[in-house]
Amino acid sequence: MTSKTLKPYLKYLSDVQIEEIHEGSLRLLENTGVMVDHQEGLKFLEKHGAKVDHQTKRVRIPRQLVSQALATVPDRFTLAARNPEKDCPLVPGGRPYSRNGGGADFTIDLETGEFRPLLQADVKEYYRLMDALDGISFIAPVFGQDMPVLGRDILMLREAFGNTDKNIHLRAFTGESLKLMFEMAALVAGSKKELKARPIVSLLEAPISPLKFLDVIVDALWLCGEYGIPLDVCVMPIAGGTGPMTMAGNVQLFNTEFLAGVVISQLAHPGAPLQYAARPMAMDMRTGFSLAGSVELGIMATAGAQMAHFYHVPVSLHGPWSDSMTHDGQSVLERMYMNLMAALAGANVLVGAGMMQQSLVISHEQLVIDDEINRIAFRVVEGFEVDEERLAAEVIDRVGPGGNFVADMHTYKFLRSERYETDLLYRNSRVAWEEGGATTLLDRAKDKARTILKEHQPNPLPEDLSKELDKFVSKALKSLEK
Amino acid sequence: MSNILERMQKDLYAGKVAEVEAATRQALDQGLGAQEILNKGLIGGMEVVGRDFKAGDLFIPEVLMCAKAMHSGLEVLRPLLAEAGAASMGKIVIGTVAGDLHDIGKNLVSMMLQGAGFEIIDLGADVKPERFVQAVRDESPDMIGMSAMLTTTMPSMKSTITALKEAGIRDKVKVIIGGAPVTSKFAQDIGADSYAPDAGAAVDTVRTLLA
Ligand code: B12
Repeated sequence: MTSKTLKPYLKYLSDVQIEEIHEGSLRLLENTGVMVDHQEGLKFLEKHGAKVDHQTKRVRIPRQLVSQALATVPDRFTLAARNPEKDCPLVPGGRPYSRNGGGADFTIDLETGEFRPLLQADVKEYYRLMDALDGISFIAPVFGQDMPVLGRDILMLREAFGNTDKNIHLRAFTGESLKLMFEMAALVAGSKKELKARPIVSLLEAPISPLKFLDVIVDALWLCGEYGIPLDVCVMPIAGGTGPMTMAGNVQLFNTEFLAGVVISQLAHPGAPLQYAARPMAMDMRTGFSLAGSVELGIMATAGAQMAHFYHVPVSLHGPWSDSMTHDGQSVLERMYMNLMAALAGANVLVGAGMMQQSLVISHEQLVIDDEINRIAFRVVEGFEVDEERLAAEVIDRVGPGGNFVADMHTYKFLRSERYETDLLYRNSRVAWEEGGATTLLDRAKDKARTILKEHQPNPLPEDLSKELDKFVSKALKSLEK
Repeated sequence: MSNILERMQKDLYAGKVAEVEAATRQALDQGLGAQEILNKGLIGGMEVVGRDFKAGDLFIPEVLMCAKAMHSGLEVLRPLLAEAGAASMGKIVIGTVAGDLHDIGKNLVSMMLQGAGFEIIDLGADVKPERFVQAVRDESPDMIGMSAMLTTTMPSMKSTITALKEAGIRDKVKVIIGGAPVTSKFAQDIGADSYAPDAGAAVDTVRTLLA
């Protein structure tokens, strides 16, 4: 009988501790509550039985409301792609997917190595590069600083649709532009109904730690519910700054914030697809910066994944993530442990590829390296098949003591299915290495990026749709100016 | 240095709030002058703290605790310090610029400057140029500090400087700016007086500018 190895899970919390944290969050929601800076949101929550102080905008949420909301939050959904082959079904215990880190508007120039602002022309290239990398399953925005400020998010989506057929993860600068982007996605999907059935875009919004929900996040939670767009409820207290110094305390806080998000979403739109985006950070106590590669982030995020599994919701964690300013050893080592911890924690999505320097910078060669780091992580959690044929007792017997397996039929048969193959990591002789120009990982990553940029042609939008989108965008930009 | 001032410095370094307050009273009882206690005990103590912070031996929360201890002593001295303002090293109006809600960095810089003895007027986040101008008129600060974390809100720093010029009060204040995407070149380009990359450097830079 064929069976798969166990899914390897990294865990820190015991079942009792998970219950403790859950109970702690219920109590915090009941007693301390959260601040909701949204008139309608306050009324809505009050109507549902929350205790609301309209003056301080404080909402105290009784535990029944939390249970009610948790009962409807889905345990699986698909980040659909314009090309269905690139869909990312997020299912309990399923394989992880990944995306790049979003929001950068600086780059390290691939050719000159210069640190410089990103431009609209770069943005197209970045989407095209990420479209070609299998270790980047869907795509978050990068912005050009020469793009007009008003509607920059909308222009970003236009560029993304033209250069990739993967799911596009949005970032909205205003509630108005968010709505316009959803309408744009509906246009590409065919209709609002088709978009709901196959959401080809997804979104991230974050409450302000500690415990504060601005109007934009309430709008986003509701609009996503209305359109059926999957939303990352991104909880990111900075330990020692906007969250407690202790890891347990930070987990306690972000779990509470996540549950408040679930309540606001699910009471209005039962069944709306949400991800538990557990993205705790840590304040560097020498500079105050919020760290990306501190190992405790991985530990806290793992606890977050356990809470997500407890609530039966998909979970998204920081994956390849680093504080390094450049493509050096620190960058690779931080990314590798962060990503492996996240994958082993059972994350459905690994976030961060390509991102550097406090999430301000994206880099081509880093994307290529992170593509590899992601695919290795996918391989790690995939495990292997165990059955009689693969256990190979018969083959071991046949080859016997002192023999070898190289020319055996068994080797021939499994040759291509058992191994992760790489075109980036060097595995040849010194002679070949020297003859090949004695390249480093970084050299090869740059070359691969250059080749992709030269050769890769993304799957274009149908021409009429492309024109329709352009029309939509220019109208949208005008409407924003008013 | 007298024993009592030495102990005050040690307690200050250890962040012992009540002890520093008590030592300040005791020093006064022993007949030491308020100005001397301030300079040698409290400010002297904070200088050691600042040095060790820069060396990486002390962490921000420790520095803030030391500052709290320093302030407990300062409150005792304040009524005795001859000229008004002698207890303050300068007044700074600070805020995160219009359209930007990122206030964590700005808050940290405020706390560290306060700890170093500066008086801080915090306008919060999403502060429009007019509000900075109004605050300069109302508070007559020595300096304004602006923070921005978004490249899309950085231009508001320039607008604020322009607004100060138009109001004819640009030369009344120094301007320092900061935030992750901000650079010293940008500071020069928009006519700010200075830039600092982190809270520790901010304290040093402000000290130099207001010296
Ligand atoms: C926390 C955070 C948030 C929180 C802010 C909570 C709060 N109370 O501030 C929330 C969730 C609200 C948020 C929202 C958004 N954010 Co944000 N956020 C961050 C994050 C993760 C950390 C920022 C931070 O606080 N760092 C810690 C502090 C201590 O560091 P600091 O601010 O740099 O401050 C230090 C120095 O710069 C300096 N300094 C700072 N100010 C000053 C001032 C003076 C005078 C001086 C001398 C020095 C100085 O000293 C400080 C201490 O050493 C960064 C990414 C990152 N890792 O940095 C993104 C980031 C800044 N955000 C970003 C974005 C895009 C947004 C949103 C637009 C996202 C959205 N819509 O989905 C919104 C914008 C909301 C708005 N209108 O402002 C981008 C900016 C990209 C860019 N280049 O423009 C970043 C880089 C992340 C990303 N790649 O997407 N965000």
